[in-house]
Amino acid sequence: MIRPDAPVLLEIRDLHARVEAKAILKGVNLTIRAGEIHAVMGRNGSGKSTLSKVLAGHPSYTVTGGSVTYRGENLLELDPEIRARAGVFLGFQYPVEIPGVSNLEFLRVSTNARRVHRGEAELDTFEFEDLVRERLQVVQMDPAFLERSVNEGFSGGEKKRNEILQMALLEPLVAILDETDSGLDIDALRIVAGGVNHLATPDTATLLITHYQRLLDAITPDYVHVMAAGRILRTGGKELALELEQRGYDWVDAELAALEGADADRQPAEVA
Amino acid sequence: MVASPTVRVSVGGGGLEGWTRQLLERLPAPAGALAAVQERGRAALAALPVPSSRQEDWRFTDLSLLTDLEPAPAGAVAATAGDLPPSAPGVVRLLLDGRSDPLAGVTLPPGLSALNPAELVQALGHTLAATGCEQHWPVELNHAASEQVLALRVASRHSVTLELVSTAAAGLLPLRLLLILEEKAELDLSQLVQARGAGLTSLVLEAHLARSARLHHGLVALGLPQAALLAHLALEQEPESAVTLVSATAGWGLARLEPRVRQVDGGANTTLRGLQLVDGRQIADTHSHVLFSGPEGELDQLHKAVADGAGRSVFNGAVRVPRAAQRTNAAQLSRSLLLSDRARIDTKPELEIVADDVKCAHGATVSCLQTDELFYLQSRGLAASQASDLLQRAFCEEVLRELPAAARSWGSFQAMLSAAGSGEDRP
Amino acid sequence: MSSPQAVGDLVSQPYKYGFVTDIETEKIAKGLSEDVVRLISSKKEEPAFLLDFRLRAYRHWLTMVEPDWAALGYPSIDYQEIIYYAAPKQQAKKASLDEVDPKLLETFDKLGIPLSEQKRLSNVAVDAVFDSVSIATTYKEKLAEHGVIFCSISEAVKEHPELIEAYLGTVVPSNDNYFAALNSAVFSDGSFVFIPKGVECPMELSTYFRINSGDTGQFERTLIVAEEGASVSYLEGCTAPMFDTNQLHAAVVELVVLDDASIKYSTVQNWYAGDENGVGGIYNFVTKRGQCRGARSKISWTQVETGSAITWKYPSCVLQGADSVGEFYSVALTNNRQQADTGTKMIHVGPRTRSTIVSKGISAGHSANSYRGLVQIGPKAEGAKNYSQCDSMLIGDQAAANTYPYIRSQQPQAAVEHEASTCRISEDQLFYLQSRGIGFEEAVSMMVSGFCRDVFNQLPMEFAAEADKLLALKLEGSVG
Ligand SMILES: Nc1ncnc2c1ncn2[C@@H]1O[C@H](COP(=O)(O)OP(=O)(O)OP(=O)(O)O)[C@@H](O)[C@H]1O
Ligand SMILES: [Mg+2]
Repeated sequence: MIRPDAPVLLEIRDLHARVEAKAILKGVNLTIRAGEIHAVMGRNGSGKSTLSKVLAGHPSYTVTGGSVTYRGENLLELDPEIRARAGVFLGFQYPVEIPGVSNLEFLRVSTNARRVHRGEAELDTFEFEDLVRERLQVVQMDPAFLERSVNEGFSGGEKKRNEILQMALLEPLVAILDETDSGLDIDALRIVAGGVNHLATPDTATLLITHYQRLLDAITPDYVHVMAAGRILRTGGKELALELEQRGYDWVDAELAALEGADADRQPAEVA
Repeated sequence: MVASPTVRVSVGGGGLEGWTRQLLERLPAPAGALAAVQERGRAALAALPVPSSRQEDWRFTDLSLLTDLEPAPAGAVAATAGDLPPSAPGVVRLLLDGRSDPLAGVTLPPGLSALNPAELVQALGHTLAATGCEQHWPVELNHAASEQVLALRVASRHSVTLELVSTAAAGLLPLRLLLILEEKAELDLSQLVQARGAGLTSLVLEAHLARSARLHHGLVALGLPQAALLAHLALEQEPESAVTLVSATAGWGLARLEPRVRQVDGGANTTLRGLQLVDGRQIADTHSHVLFSGPEGELDQLHKAVADGAGRSVFNGAVRVPRAAQRTNAAQLSRSLLLSDRARIDTKPELEIVADDVKCAHGATVSCLQTDELFYLQSRGLAASQASDLLQRAFCEEVLRELPAAARSWGSFQAMLSAAGSGEDRP
Repeated sequence: MSSPQAVGDLVSQPYKYGFVTDIETEKIAKGLSEDVVRLISSKKEEPAFLLDFRLRAYRHWLTMVEPDWAALGYPSIDYQEIIYYAAPKQQAKKASLDEVDPKLLETFDKLGIPLSEQKRLSNVAVDAVFDSVSIATTYKEKLAEHGVIFCSISEAVKEHPELIEAYLGTVVPSNDNYFAALNSAVFSDGSFVFIPKGVECPMELSTYFRINSGDTGQFERTLIVAEEGASVSYLEGCTAPMFDTNQLHAAVVELVVLDDASIKYSTVQNWYAGDENGVGGIYNFVTKRGQCRGARSKISWTQVETGSAITWKYPSCVLQGADSVGEFYSVALTNNRQQADTGTKMIHVGPRTRSTIVSKGISAGHSANSYRGLVQIGPKAEGAKNYSQCDSMLIGDQAAANTYPYIRSQQPQAAVEHEASTCRISEDQLFYLQSRGIGFEEAVSMMVSGFCRDVFNQLPMEFAAEADKLLALKLEGSVG
């Protein structure tokens, strides 16, 4: 839902980032207001996951330029756990397995960390059980998953549902979902989309990274962005996604070439 | 000192120590290209304590069989053509008898050449030192007695297939090999070591692999209950090189194999496959040692043993991952089948790791054939003995099928089985 | 921020039990001789059989050579520089806790082991050993009602000499090894537990060992006997003050279980480990062995080893009785210059005996952490089964993790299976937890205790939380 007067939640300005010596993000600009749903699409390797991990504060990625403001604060200064407590949530493309650490305990500790940050009381084990059982219904997950280690031995789709469960518990203000739809069967896709819609409110915003229209059929985006070579190359409405589905990404090359030319012209200025 | 032919063999006179002394007395005077090496080996043997169960490395391995063997160099070669399996078509086969030059009258395939004397002096022993085994007793024994060394170079970007064959009768047959693989060289080496009498085969192989070189070595050692084999296989690998070392031993009264690998700067790939069969009162012992001296090395090791009769199988697998060896990925698995209640299996993986970003996994199992599997086959109509034969074969095939082509026929399950079962208890 | 360096800093938490209690102590002169052995025996007013036992052990010890373990590096120990008997000055043992020197009670309070009646851990009886002597045993009367004997070994020698004579040294012979022989000659005190036939011990038993004096060796001796059908769960805990000299701790623990009986023996070891440069700390050379003498008997060892400069310890099970069961669950955490060489021996003698080994080693700093194990299947152990799992976690690239699992089998109808792996706390796992709002320290500590979960699950409930806290303590600190 686009409301021009809605407060800006996340403001990304000319963001540059690298991993090891490799520059990946090369000037990303994006403004996200409360109530909006944004979709980011783009070829494999174009930098979508990199953008999401930079926003979440992954230590392997170094920001080399630009800024990210979250509700008026410099997001890049915050440790990853502080970002999470403040309401930035990343649903990972590849959630890691953490053998030995109980899923239930993990969910409880993280939920309480967010609650304390919001000035709410911590939940004891019993209260939390009640809450988690209620939220499990959002993703229609079997409570048996709570007894297992975090993501260990979960199937691809189960991991993704576990991500949405975490989102349901943490109640983020900005949810970044990196290919949460990949690996899901048709029913699961509907469940996950239902979960996302259910959690979206006029005060929160969602950034969906996806390759497929079918997710966007279920969650209607306000904006669709196409990422290429580390920046957002084009922005449009939901019809842009349909157009991509038809035309593919070949047109990207021409636009990129033009941009690179412009870059070359600009280079001396950048060094200075 | 010239050996006197009148020295009498007195078995039991001082055990292995006495045996070694007598051997030293009966070796001919140092001579030939290896004279200096022989002198070194003899001095070392005179000074070194003989292996005994008091030394950790020999704790489970009874060497007393050696003292039953004649402490003298092997006599004339007994092997006849009919004794040997046919060689693979188009593949050069070299006969090693410890005495004559195996290259005499042989046309080597393109890309393969003998080292010249200056190169030999430079390279010989280098890999033994690099892998920390130059002073091991079996290596010094080989030093003391070797008259011949087969030293070959595979030229860069060439791909060579070769067969090596030796037959030991009575006495000590020393075999010394040195292989230099230049960058991107490839060598497929099938080696048959067999016994036809109460003798000791002493094999020392060194191989140095330059960048991106590839060695596939299959050692098939088929022995006799009265014969012994002591083998050191020392390999040095430069980054991006690949070694697949497959060994299969059966039938030896005593067989001790020491594969020793060093990845000098890491980044190489090592695959080790071992199979040893013991029956009667045979002893088979594999002591492998892999050292990663640089990052990103890979090891995939599988060692299998089948112990029947009153046989003894020993496996000791050391893997060393020092701090320089970050991102090493090493996996070792030892699987043993214990088929008789008089047999014994000793297995001891040894992992030493001082690097945090590594993947090292190892496992060991000791059991008899799985009752479930046996039952499944029987329920499909197989007799118990057929079923157990089939499962044993499958167990061994996992290693045997990785032998190079020529060696695969020598090391067939049947050949292994008949060697292992040949002659029950030794006299 | 969340670099391995920072993880390393986390495990460098100062030792919390390093204080010294200022109390008047009776000590005998330094050094060891036959006279010293006689003196210890006479101070404890021991019967002749025990003095004989000690003297035999001492004479044998003189003929033995100190082991020289290749993987362990430590300066040699001067056995004449050690004091073999030290006791807080108070008349023997007090009838009531009210008469125990308040300073001692305070010491144990500070260590988190309240001995005074009103604050006692409910349902846990405690024997508190301070330097060489036991100062208090709680809940004795209540246990006696069930026929359970729980007292210091010195008391048992006086009150139940026939039991001591029947069982002492029958599992670990006095000539078993260098340190066991030394212990047999000079052992000071320790605990004795006897659970008669058919009795399930109504509460957890626990001994708490405290070394206080700087130059004293601690040589305690523990003996636990469970008769037919009896069962008991026992826990020992240990701490020592910080001194910059090394102290020797050479204990012997013997367990005997008869038909259908079981003993669960848990240890939380937190002796002083020395400083970050390896100065000071306890040499912990311990012989622990249990004998499953009876059919269907069971011994379960659980240990959480976090302290000591050097640990050398292999709690073992001799599985003699048919269908007997041995278990070993271990967590060993080493940091700075600590060296731990620990593991177990499972000796399968009887038919259908079963054993399980789960070992988790965590190495940080410049420490060395070795698992050394033996699984031996004898020719008569038909149908025996063993499963072992040894995992190492490395923190930083200066620490060593070694694994030496030795298997010997002589029985075809037996199955032995060993698995081992090495892992680290990966940056991605840490980030995952952090990105859900969990702080760095807590994330590390969650991962470490997750790594140890299989072992902690084996600890008696009352102590599982303690152990988790202890690891968390070691992991707590400034984030680098
Ligand atoms: N840790 C890393 N080390 C090296 N290269 C990296 C690393 N992370 C990302 N890259 C590279 O950065 C580029 C962008 O990767 P990213 O994962 O952001 O792509 P993506 O747009 O999410 O692709 P996909 O659609 O396949 O998920 C890729 O070329 C990738 O290989
Ligand atoms: Mg991606």
